[in-house]
Amino acid sequence: MSERGFVRTYWRIILLVLFVAAAVFALFVPGGIMADDSLAGGNETIDDGDPTNLQYGLGLDGGTRISAPVVGMTAENIDAGAVNEDEGTIDTDRLRAIETTLLEELELSGADARVDYHEGDQAVHAEVFSSEVDRSEFAAALQEAGVEVEADDIRDGVTDQTREEIVRTIETRINEAGLAGGQATQQAMLGDDYYIVVEAPDMTPSELRELLSHRGAVEVVAHYPENGEQVNETVLEQGDFQNIDPATFDSERGHHVPVSITSEAAPGFQEAMNEMGFTTEGVGNCDVTDQVTGEIDFDRDPPNYCMVTVVDGEPVDAHSVAPSLAENLRSGQWADSPTFIMGAQSQQEAQSLSVNLRAGALPAELDFDRDDTFMVSPALADQFKTYSLFIGLLSVLSVSGMVYLRYSDVRVAAPMIVTALAEVVILLGFAALIRMPLDLSHIAGFIAVIGTGVDDLIIIADEVMSEGDVSQQRVFDSRFRKAFWVIGAAAATTIVALSPLAVLSLGDLRGFAIITILGVLVGVLVTRPAYGDILRYLLTDDK
Amino acid sequence: MGYFDVPEIDYTRYSNRQLAAVPLAVLAVALAILGVWFVAYGTPVNAGMDFAGGTEIVVETSTDREEIPAAFEEEPSSIQSVQVEDDQYIVQFTSTDQEWLSEQAEANLEPAGDADVIQQVSSTSASFGAQAQQTALLGVSVAFVGMSVIAFLLFRTFVPSIAIVASAFSDIMIPLAFMNLAGIELTLGTVAALLLLIGYSVDSDILLNNHILRQSGGFYESTYRAMRTGVTMTVTSMVAMLVMAISAYAFGIELLTAIGLILFVGLAADLMNTYMLNLSLLRWYKFEGVKR
Repeated sequence: MSERGFVRTYWRIILLVLFVAAAVFALFVPGGIMADDSLAGGNETIDDGDPTNLQYGLGLDGGTRISAPVVGMTAENIDAGAVNEDEGTIDTDRLRAIETTLLEELELSGADARVDYHEGDQAVHAEVFSSEVDRSEFAAALQEAGVEVEADDIRDGVTDQTREEIVRTIETRINEAGLAGGQATQQAMLGDDYYIVVEAPDMTPSELRELLSHRGAVEVVAHYPENGEQVNETVLEQGDFQNIDPATFDSERGHHVPVSITSEAAPGFQEAMNEMGFTTEGVGNCDVTDQVTGEIDFDRDPPNYCMVTVVDGEPVDAHSVAPSLAENLRSGQWADSPTFIMGAQSQQEAQSLSVNLRAGALPAELDFDRDDTFMVSPALADQFKTYSLFIGLLSVLSVSGMVYLRYSDVRVAAPMIVTALAEVVILLGFAALIRMPLDLSHIAGFIAVIGTGVDDLIIIADEVMSEGDVSQQRVFDSRFRKAFWVIGAAAATTIVALSPLAVLSLGDLRGFAIITILGVLVGVLVTRPAYGDILRYLLTDDK
Repeated sequence: MGYFDVPEIDYTRYSNRQLAAVPLAVLAVALAILGVWFVAYGTPVNAGMDFAGGTEIVVETSTDREEIPAAFEEEPSSIQSVQVEDDQYIVQFTSTDQEWLSEQAEANLEPAGDADVIQQVSSTSASFGAQAQQTALLGVSVAFVGMSVIAFLLFRTFVPSIAIVASAFSDIMIPLAFMNLAGIELTLGTVAALLLLIGYSVDSDILLNNHILRQSGGFYESTYRAMRTGVTMTVTSMVAMLVMAISAYAFGIELLTAIGLILFVGLAADLMNTYMLNLSLLRWYKFEGVKR
C-alpha cells in the first residue's frame, strides 16, 4: 500500500494517535502546557509530587470556598434629573445631593448608599448597602430627594459595577494576604441573584470569612482643638492614597505603612494641616493612646493634635505629626512629594492596614446568612485524589471484564478497552492544557465517559459483526455507517441532556457536565471512528 | 458467543398489553410512592443538604461513634462512618452555622493522631439551597424537553418517539421512588445522575427503534439483534456504576456513591422499560398502528 493510501485508509487511527500523543505531551512534559502561571500561582504543581501537569480544584487539593450574595438593594435607572441628554453632560452635584439625602433619611453611614451614573447602560442607579433598610423606606428616601420611585421598582441585589468592584477588592485582598491561587468570581443564579464566590486554597472557613467580613474603609481623621473644644475632621479618604508599601517595622517608628497621597489631594491636605495647627503647636502633641492597653480615648488631657487612622469607623491608631514632616508641610514642599507613614499598633494591624489601603474598601458587605461554605483539608483532598484514581481504575477493569466476558474475542475487546482509555487520556490532556482545575465532579464525568464510550464501541462491534464475519471492506463500511447513526443520535441526546448543567450555576455539577459533553464529542469525532478502523483492520481481509 | 450472552426472549408469547402492563405497573407504584411522599412531606423526594440547607462535617477522631452526638449541642441528623478509614465520620446537621458546629467539633472531639479533627466542612444556607433546587428543577426540565425534541427529530413519527420519551420518563421516576425507599436524598450528585440517566437510557431506546424501523429483517430478528447489543451496553454500564458506587461508598466519597447508585437503579429500570414498554409500543405501531 502506498503512503498516501495508508493515510487515506487509516487517517482515523492516525488522528487518534496524534490526539493521544498531544494529550500525553500536555499531561507529562513539564511546561508542555500554556505557560500561564497566573491561575496556578507559581510552581505549586511541581513540588507536590504529582508527575502530571494537571491542576486540581478545591475538592482534590484542599482549601475553602465561600459563596454569598451581596447585601443591598438597587433602584435601577432612576429619573434623577441629572443627565442632560442634549449636551451629554451629567450633573454630579445632583447625584451627590441625592446620595446625601439618602444617607440622612435612612440614617446610614457614608459608604452605605451610592448614586452613580453607569457608562455601561447609560443610566443612573441608586444603591443602598444595608440590611437595616427595607424597600419602602428606600423608596421614601428617594422621593424625599425628588426622585419618583415606588417600592415595587426596587430590587434586591446590587449593580454589575458594584459586584465587579467587590470581586476586584476581594481578589486583591486574598493576594495581598499572601495566598497563592486564591480567586474571586461572581456567579449568576436563577432570577436576578448573583453570588460572589471566593476560593482560597490555604485558609480555613473562619479565616476566609474574617478576611471577607469587614469593609476595610480607611480614613485619616484629624483630631484637634478648635475654639477650646476637640473636634474630628476627616482629612484623607480611601481614594486619596496611592503607592502603598507593605507593612514594615523599625525600632524608631514601630509598625507602620509608608504611603503616598495623590497629587490632587496633597495640596488640600497640606493646607488643612497648617490651618489646624498640626505643623506648629500641634507637633509631637498627641496623647490619646493609653500606653498600657493601647486603647484610644479622645477625652484624655486636651488639647491634642492627633492624626487618627480609622478603619470601618473604628479608630485603630493615633499619632502626632513628626517634626520633620511638620517642617515640610509648613514650607509647602511636602505637596511636591506627598509621602508619610501611617503607624499601627501591631504587625497584624499594619499588615491589614496595608492590605485595606491597597485593596480598597468593599463597597458592600456579603450576606453570610445566605451563604454556602465548603472546606476540605489538604490531607483529605489528597486521599480523595488517590481514591478517585483507584475508583477510576476499578471501573475500567470491571468494564473490561464485562466486555471480555461478552465477546471472548481479544481482537474485539482489547482495542475497545484501549480506545476507551485513549478517550480518557485525551480528556485529561485537554484538562491539563486549559488548566481546568479537576475536582471530584470531573472524576465522575470521566467515569461516565468511559461508560458511554464503551456503550458506543459495543454498538460498533455488534453492528459490524452482525451476520457473521465481514470479509469485505465495503460491507464493513456500510455496517459501520449504520452503527454510527445510532451513536451520533445517542451522543446528541446526551449532550442535550447535560448542557443545562454546563450552563446553570449548580456548583460542582458544571465540571461534571462539561467533562461528559467534551468526552462525548471527542468520542464521536475521534476515538469511536478510530475504533472502527482498528476493527476493520483486524476483521476484514483487505489489508 | 461468550460467557455472558443475551438470551433470546420469545416475545410472541406475550401480548402488547401484557408486555406493557409490567413496566406501567412499576411506574404507577413509583409515582404512587412519590405522591405519598408529596402528601406526607410536602416534597416528592427528600431534599438533601445541597437543597434544604444544613451542615456536613467530616471529622477524624478517636472518639467513639456513639459519643460523637454528645460533642455537639445540636443533635446530628446523621452519622456515617467511612469504611476504609477507621476514624473518619461524616456527620450531618440541619443547622447552617458551620462556625459554631466546627468549634464544638474541635473543642469536644479527640483528635486521632496528629491530623486535624475537621477534615471537611460544607454548609449550605436554606436560601442558597432553595435557589439551587429551582435551578436543578429547571435543568432537569430543560434536559427532558431537549431530549424529547431530539427523539422527535430523529424518528419524525409519533409512536416511536413517544415510546422513547415515556421510557426515559419512567427511567427517572423509578430511581426517584427508589431514593425515597432507600433513604437517599436529592443532592447535586443525584441530580447529575438523573440527567446522565436521560443520556444513557436513550441510547438503547434509539438503538431498538433504529433496528426495528430503519433496518431490514423481520421484527423479532431486529429486536433480538438490538437487544443483544443494548443489553450488553446497559449491563456493562450497570457493572461500572455498581463498582463505582461500592468503592466510593467505602472511601466516603458521597458524590460518586450517589451518582453510581442512582445510575445503577435507573439503568436496571431502563432494561425493563426498553424491552417491555418501548418494545410493546413499537410492536403495536409496526403491526397495527401503521395500517390505520
